[in-house]
Amino acid sequence: MKLQKLQVEQLRQFQQPLVLDNLQPGLNLIHGPNESGKSTLVRAIRAAFFERYRSKSVDDLRPWGDSGAAPTIHLEFEHQGTPWRLTKSFLKRTRCDLRVGTTTFSEDDAEEKVAELLGYEYSKKGSSKAEHWGIPGLLWVEQGTGQEVQKAIEHAGDHLQSALNALVGEVASTGGDAVIETLSAERNKLLTKTGQPTGDYRKLLDERQKLQEQKTALQDRVFQYQQYVDRLQSVTRDYQRDQQERPWEKAQQQLGEAQAKLIKLEQLEQQQQQETQTLNHIDQQRTLTEQRLEDLQRIDQQKADRKAELEQAEQSLRDAESREPALAEQLKTANADYEKAQNRLKVARLLAERQRVEKEIERLTQYKSVLVENRNKARKHQAQVTEARQMAAENRIDAHAVHELKATDQALSHERIRSQAIATRLSWELEAESGVMLDDTLLEEQGEQQLLDVSHLTIPGVGRFEITPGGEKLAETRRKLESLEQAYSDQLTQLAVASVDEAEQRKLAYEKAVQQRRHAEELLHSVAPAGMETLETELSDVEFELKSHAEHLQENPLPANAENGLSLLDAEAIHSRAESHLKDCERQQREVETLLMGRRQARDSAFAEWQRLDQETRSPERQQQLKNLKQRLEVLTGERAKAQANLEERANEIRLAQPDILRQDIERYRITIDNLRNRQQERDREIREIRARLDAWGAEGLEEKLQEVEADFERCERRYQELFRRANALELLVKQLNEKRQALTRRLQAPLQKHLDHYVSLLFPQARLALDDQLQPDTFTRGSEFGPVGELSFGAREQMGLISRLAYADLLQEADRPTLIILDDTLVHSDQNRLDDMKRILFDAAKRHQILLFTCHPEKWQDLGVLPTDLEQVKKAAVPFRKAGAGS
Amino acid sequence: MPKFLHTADWQMGRTYSRFETEDGVALVEARFEAIAALARLANEHQCDAVLVAGDVFDAQTVSDRTIRRVFNATAGFSGPWVMLPGNHDAALVESVWSRAQRLDAVPGNVHLALEPGVVSLDEQKLAILCAPLTQRHTYEDLTEAFTDYATPETFVRVGLAHGSVQGLLSEDIDATNPIAQDRAQASELDYLALGDWHGTKQIDERIWYSGTPEPERFRNNDAGQALIVTIEEPGALPGVQTMTTARYQWHQWREVLSVDSDLDRLLERLQELPEASVLDLRLEGQITLAGEERLNRALSVAEARFRSLLSDRSQLKLAPTDEDIAALRADGYLGEVIEDLREQQSGEEGEVARDALAILASVLKAQTQEAAE
Repeated sequence: MKLQKLQVEQLRQFQQPLVLDNLQPGLNLIHGPNESGKSTLVRAIRAAFFERYRSKSVDDLRPWGDSGAAPTIHLEFEHQGTPWRLTKSFLKRTRCDLRVGTTTFSEDDAEEKVAELLGYEYSKKGSSKAEHWGIPGLLWVEQGTGQEVQKAIEHAGDHLQSALNALVGEVASTGGDAVIETLSAERNKLLTKTGQPTGDYRKLLDERQKLQEQKTALQDRVFQYQQYVDRLQSVTRDYQRDQQERPWEKAQQQLGEAQAKLIKLEQLEQQQQQETQTLNHIDQQRTLTEQRLEDLQRIDQQKADRKAELEQAEQSLRDAESREPALAEQLKTANADYEKAQNRLKVARLLAERQRVEKEIERLTQYKSVLVENRNKARKHQAQVTEARQMAAENRIDAHAVHELKATDQALSHERIRSQAIATRLSWELEAESGVMLDDTLLEEQGEQQLLDVSHLTIPGVGRFEITPGGEKLAETRRKLESLEQAYSDQLTQLAVASVDEAEQRKLAYEKAVQQRRHAEELLHSVAPAGMETLETELSDVEFELKSHAEHLQENPLPANAENGLSLLDAEAIHSRAESHLKDCERQQREVETLLMGRRQARDSAFAEWQRLDQETRSPERQQQLKNLKQRLEVLTGERAKAQANLEERANEIRLAQPDILRQDIERYRITIDNLRNRQQERDREIREIRARLDAWGAEGLEEKLQEVEADFERCERRYQELFRRANALELLVKQLNEKRQALTRRLQAPLQKHLDHYVSLLFPQARLALDDQLQPDTFTRGSEFGPVGELSFGAREQMGLISRLAYADLLQEADRPTLIILDDTLVHSDQNRLDDMKRILFDAAKRHQILLFTCHPEKWQDLGVLPTDLEQVKKAAVPFRKAGAGS
Repeated sequence: MPKFLHTADWQMGRTYSRFETEDGVALVEARFEAIAALARLANEHQCDAVLVAGDVFDAQTVSDRTIRRVFNATAGFSGPWVMLPGNHDAALVESVWSRAQRLDAVPGNVHLALEPGVVSLDEQKLAILCAPLTQRHTYEDLTEAFTDYATPETFVRVGLAHGSVQGLLSEDIDATNPIAQDRAQASELDYLALGDWHGTKQIDERIWYSGTPEPERFRNNDAGQALIVTIEEPGALPGVQTMTTARYQWHQWREVLSVDSDLDRLLERLQELPEASVLDLRLEGQITLAGEERLNRALSVAEARFRSLLSDRSQLKLAPTDEDIAALRADGYLGEVIEDLREQQSGEEGEVARDALAILASVLKAQTQEAAE
């Protein structure tokens, strides 16, 4: 299909007709700035095909403010050698005319004809939408939708399919997809995606399981019921047999026999017991007799024992008595010793007291002499103090005044030297006795004089010279000197001394006196710290004490034997020893006395005992008793031997009767009888129990119920099997149909893939764009990169979109379908390199298809190898060449 | 001239798992009605007694209601009934019989032969020698004792037993509970009334199986009858009259379809069957889609007409003809799938393929019909 001419009129900004009539079979680049009418042209082409001429929804075609306009589009194109002319007017004048070759169509017929050729539908109501656009929707790309290829392919679906069918010569099943859909729905009612039962099928499975369980439970119970019946049968048989045979009665008889034997045996045992008692009695008698005999014989022994005890007591007494005299002597000596020690201690104490007083006198005498000496010294020092005080009083001078005097004296001499330095010096050497007189003084032959005042020199014979000393300060010096001299003499007077030296001497004398006084006072203090009076008192106290001690000594004269007296310490030790020894002796004395008393008593009682026994042993009754007992013992021994023989005989008899075995037999028979009776009772009980249970269970009609459940189960099973088979069949069907369908799709894909590969290899040499079974671009592979197309960048998606569309165009062309490609400002997101590749692709595609490329960026497409059409120029040209354009 | 009715194998309490609930209930009801029918028959023919040769009950533990209903159903005939325990209702220490007695459900004219021995019907001059089963199975001939049973000379000696006559019946009935083939002769019986075999069967001139009065299986022949036995005098040969008692006839058809005429014949036969039929139909071979449609329609009609219809078509392959496929408008890959499935029917997964094909055909048919509308 080749579009040859496009004319629009009264359409948006094209109030006046605009004609594009130099369209090329291949690539056409139509450019103009924004608002120049590019989009209007695209819209016009779409409206010419997609919108029904009588549509009320195309107001956007109307020029602004012109309600009376009739937007008109005129198209001329050629398809497979046949020229087509389509003219469509909207709104004010609604018309559609078509001429194909020489045949003309109008109105709806014309529209249907065009739609059939291009492969699209009209909207039943309202303006045309994407879902109606069919194949043109895929090949005509609106601005900014280049990447959205998926929807476009879907909308083109049926048209593409039929084109493809024609191409590969296959008949895709007309209702195939619907059948698959129906069957899948049916399958999904029974099976989940993973093939697990669901819905009714699942319910049946559960029900079947439940019934199976019920069935098993009932079967178990029926089985149990039958077991009970069998058990009842066997127990009843045993019970009745035993009721007949009565085996416990036989056991009872055996028991009776054994019990009779036992009674006999028990008699023997009783006899044995009696005989044993007799023997025991005899033994007791014998023992008693023997004991009494022994008792009697034992008195002799006791007597001998008592005798020995008596002797022992006497000996002990004697021992104690022998100790008595020695102890008495010892006590006496101890008493004497003690008294002697007592006396010696007295003397020692007196002596010690005297010694102490004498020592005290000695100490006091010595102390007294020290005190006297101190008193004497104190008196001397007292005198010295007084003397020093007197001297100090005589030489008392003010030390400060002396100091000032010395300073004045010094200043005076200093001032004198100064005055002599500034005075006029007059020296002379005269002839002997010249008689020269200075002032009133006669001058010697040689001398010198300082002159401070106006002086008169009289030379005899010559006359008198008045000499006036010069110098400014002479007068001041002289006044100061005079004042000092005055002060000096005043101070001397005040101090009542004649000179400075004298003042100095007096000061020294005074200071010495003060020092002497202080020294004397210190010495005084050392001997009489508390003062003289205290010293005197102390001395008198000592004297008094001495006197009283002397009196004491006189009053307590020394005893006669004092020379060999002991020290007090020794005397006390001796005394203490003597005292303790005496106490010891006294204690021993007491002990011996106690001992003696006890032993005498013991001896007396032992003697009494012995005497009693001695008397007893000699009595005739005792002799008779002894004889009788011996006879009795003999008799008893005889009796015992006889009893013992009897007993042995009895034991033998009992042993022969086997009492243990007999008793075991009896127990055995008893248990047997019990067991037999119990067993029978147990059977009776069990029979009644089983009957009761069977009665209860029987009422339930178990087997009938089981049959019903089995019937339910089988019905369920049948239904389940039906669904099982249906599910399997549906699964198989869906699987096989899908496989067939996919195989078909793959066959259809091949030619499209071929074209796609062609373009992709121009863009990316190593890449591949795979199609899914809906013939949609699905995955993109480039080297190791792999992923869905949807995840590519926007630019790449746009490029892939365009490539896909071109591939479809190739496919459609092979199927003899018209292919017009319209691109409205496409590939705006591609970089320069990619754009260059895409240009190559477009150029390649343009060899087979007519392509209208609208853009506002002509500079980007300069190297496309076509002459661009400038819309602005066309518009300018439109008015003058209107008629000409319309006519060609 | 004693005359009695010989029946057996009532199998009361049996339910039918193969049928849908409703049909099963009706078939169970029919068995109760059969007892009433026997009572009527006994009256009509002025029978002296009714002898039931075992398996009155199908199981020991049937519901109390079933027990009562069975004995209630005998009310139509007031003469003596002698009922013998069989292998299904053996006279165990606890049995359906002892239960019936406890329930006080047994009418006075019904004699339960729970122990081996003679039931003497003095008025009718009938001595019934009974060999009840007192265990579920025995391996000895219980009828051997008949020889020792002395009966009055003027009485007709009739044996009543349940089991299999040795050496005569096929192996698939219980080999237990044997009965000697010459029992009638050996024990000087005028007649031996047997139960256990569900079809009517004569063993010799004095020994008969009566069969069950109402069929309950497909495989028994001559089920659904009772015997009226007339014996002129002791020692005389019995006159045996076969009476139909069944309400429903059970049929089991195994048909192979290969050509259209086979289907025609099958449909005709279906048409001919009476309404009181229970039919088990199993089809093999192959059928066209058009034929299957006819079959479906015919079976749908039959299902409504008969008491019960069981049909198994799992072995019947679908063989769509070109016309079939054209009619389905199965173009493109649908056609291929149909062809594949048709072939797969002969393979291992034949049944699934057959089902799949049927489903696909029905879906396509629905679609073409929809399209036609």
